[in-house]
Amino acid sequence: MTNQSNVNGGRARPRGFIRAPQDFYGGLVLIGLAVFSMYAGYDLSGMQGFSFGPGTAPRLFAWMLVGFGVIIVLMGVINPGPKVERWYWRGIILTIASIICFALTIRSLGLIPSSFISFMIGAAATDEVKWGQSAIVGAALTAGCAILFPYILNLPFQLWPQF
Amino acid sequence: MADLLSNLALGFSVAVTPLNLLLCLVGVVTGTLIGVLPGIGSLATIAMLLPITFGLPPVGALIMLAGIYYGAQYGGSTTSILVNIPGEASSVVTTLDGHQMAKQGRAGAALAIAAIGSFFAGCVATILIAALGVPLTSLALLFGPAEYFSLMTLGLIFAVVLARGSVIKALAMVLFGLLLSMMGSDLETGVARMTFDVPELADGIGFVNVAMGVFGFAEIMRNLERKESRHIVQEKVTGLMPTRADLIRSAPAIGRGTVIGALLGILPGGGSIIASFAGYTLEKRISKTPEKFGYGTIEGVAAPESANNAASQTSFIPLLTLGIPPNAVMALMVGAMTIQGIVPGPQVMTKQPDLFWGMIASMWIGNALLIIINLPMIGIWVKLLRIPYRLLFPCILIFCCIGLYSINNSPFDVLIASCFAVFGYWLTKHDFEPAPMLLGMILGPLMEENLRRAMLIARGDPSVFLTRPISAGLLFIAAVLLVLAILPTIRKKRDEVFVEE
Repeated sequence: MTNQSNVNGGRARPRGFIRAPQDFYGGLVLIGLAVFSMYAGYDLSGMQGFSFGPGTAPRLFAWMLVGFGVIIVLMGVINPGPKVERWYWRGIILTIASIICFALTIRSLGLIPSSFISFMIGAAATDEVKWGQSAIVGAALTAGCAILFPYILNLPFQLWPQF
Repeated sequence: MADLLSNLALGFSVAVTPLNLLLCLVGVVTGTLIGVLPGIGSLATIAMLLPITFGLPPVGALIMLAGIYYGAQYGGSTTSILVNIPGEASSVVTTLDGHQMAKQGRAGAALAIAAIGSFFAGCVATILIAALGVPLTSLALLFGPAEYFSLMTLGLIFAVVLARGSVIKALAMVLFGLLLSMMGSDLETGVARMTFDVPELADGIGFVNVAMGVFGFAEIMRNLERKESRHIVQEKVTGLMPTRADLIRSAPAIGRGTVIGALLGILPGGGSIIASFAGYTLEKRISKTPEKFGYGTIEGVAAPESANNAASQTSFIPLLTLGIPPNAVMALMVGAMTIQGIVPGPQVMTKQPDLFWGMIASMWIGNALLIIINLPMIGIWVKLLRIPYRLLFPCILIFCCIGLYSINNSPFDVLIASCFAVFGYWLTKHDFEPAPMLLGMILGPLMEENLRRAMLIARGDPSVFLTRPISAGLLFIAAVLLVLAILPTIRKKRDEVFVEE
């Protein structure tokens, strides 16, 4: 097995021992998450006699996850596999921004401003956005929600900011 | 038999009350709507509507939510056939032959066969639930903690074996899901686990938040990557009456699809998505002309559409008889039942027969309604498909946010979901399947509880899982499945099953 064999096509990669980046990095992250969970639960007591403590099952699963993570990393070194696809950052960032905006403003601004602003942020997540249309649909959706949730479905929503 | 009839009579008397009929209609119309619209699935919708079931009577609430689930299976086929985009994940394979038929001007026949197949499957599944309910409930009474633990292990292994791609990666996903479910207070001692003293995490991460992040939001982010090309091939759908020849050709396919779908629905870890793939693959395998599949063969529409509908209904069986949710949608049904103060399990049928039988009877009524909603009214749904995705996805986004928030009136839940949205997106970029993770998360608390109990009763001796016959049998099946899936030769064949897309 030579490190020169290039399974990904295109230019030679500097770290040639990683043959399947999806698996290699995927496994590493899972190991990281498992180790993090052990750190998060380090103070939990384990087995007491033959009864499980609160920490037994989490540690059991975490160690098993470490094991599988290692296998996946090894798979990434042994078997060739596809590259990690590029992320579409515009979509990710604006979608998440829209969700976070909703979470942060729903209490303070109320349902109507919060959903309209979040809608417009979300609408920008695609480069095919047409602002005029989006504003109309956003306004209609907001109006619909303002009737549907508090009045028809009787959920406790505050519609406008309270001072 | 007489018992069965009197039980069904009780069920129908509950299901035909005006309120329950109305809720059934609302459920199936909503289901069809979200089934037709790509990008929003039954999981997200049921999660969103969970809070409004507070104010409804228990039977009505469950009738409506169930209607959404099986209604979505009908609606999903419309989009698959007309636009070549699956409206619902379980209609992915329907695009193969259904869309080809539409291109040949036979959209009407495809839609009709899909609806008729679904209706037949729905009727059979309804009878099956009614017939299997009583015997499985008595079986459940034989189950102790060890058996429950082994059954859930089998369910997780099923989910792993049936998931696409690497078995090892799916196993890792299950473990990560189990680990996630451990967060929050320990059931026995009340100790806070892995919560970093954050009060919002004291009850753990809600499974709805994870599901909405990984399936709802991450799905939107994935869709945004692709440029939209949505083209409805046949604007005016005519010829909704299938010809005799079509009916004769698809009848056996509908029958086989129903059987395989019903079986996969009952098994924990199964569900409508897997059922539709399995139905299609089986049909192609036994067909005399497999080379015609993918070029507009009517059997290729009939089998998966019957299978997914059968599975969506029979997946209520493990929930109602054993109290184990076999997939994520059923886990939401657990949530809905808990809101109403009902503990899912064998006692539902004995203590609340009106609820159990009322729900089953409503499924039959719902299927009859769906045929009317989907065939003569197809024009309305076609119009909906003309909404471009750039306007649709922000609406879905906001609906999901409002739904998540209103479950606990907690903005924190919405933030958690946004974290899992990024994680879900990352998972697909690294070729991990999120479904096994979700099942692990759903079954985690139940598994831990039963594992602890079984070990305590056996005084710390793990061999209890192998010395009790039912438990040993279940674990044996799980082990065989796993070995079969990992063996490379069989792996190759297994991959073929899912390569069809």
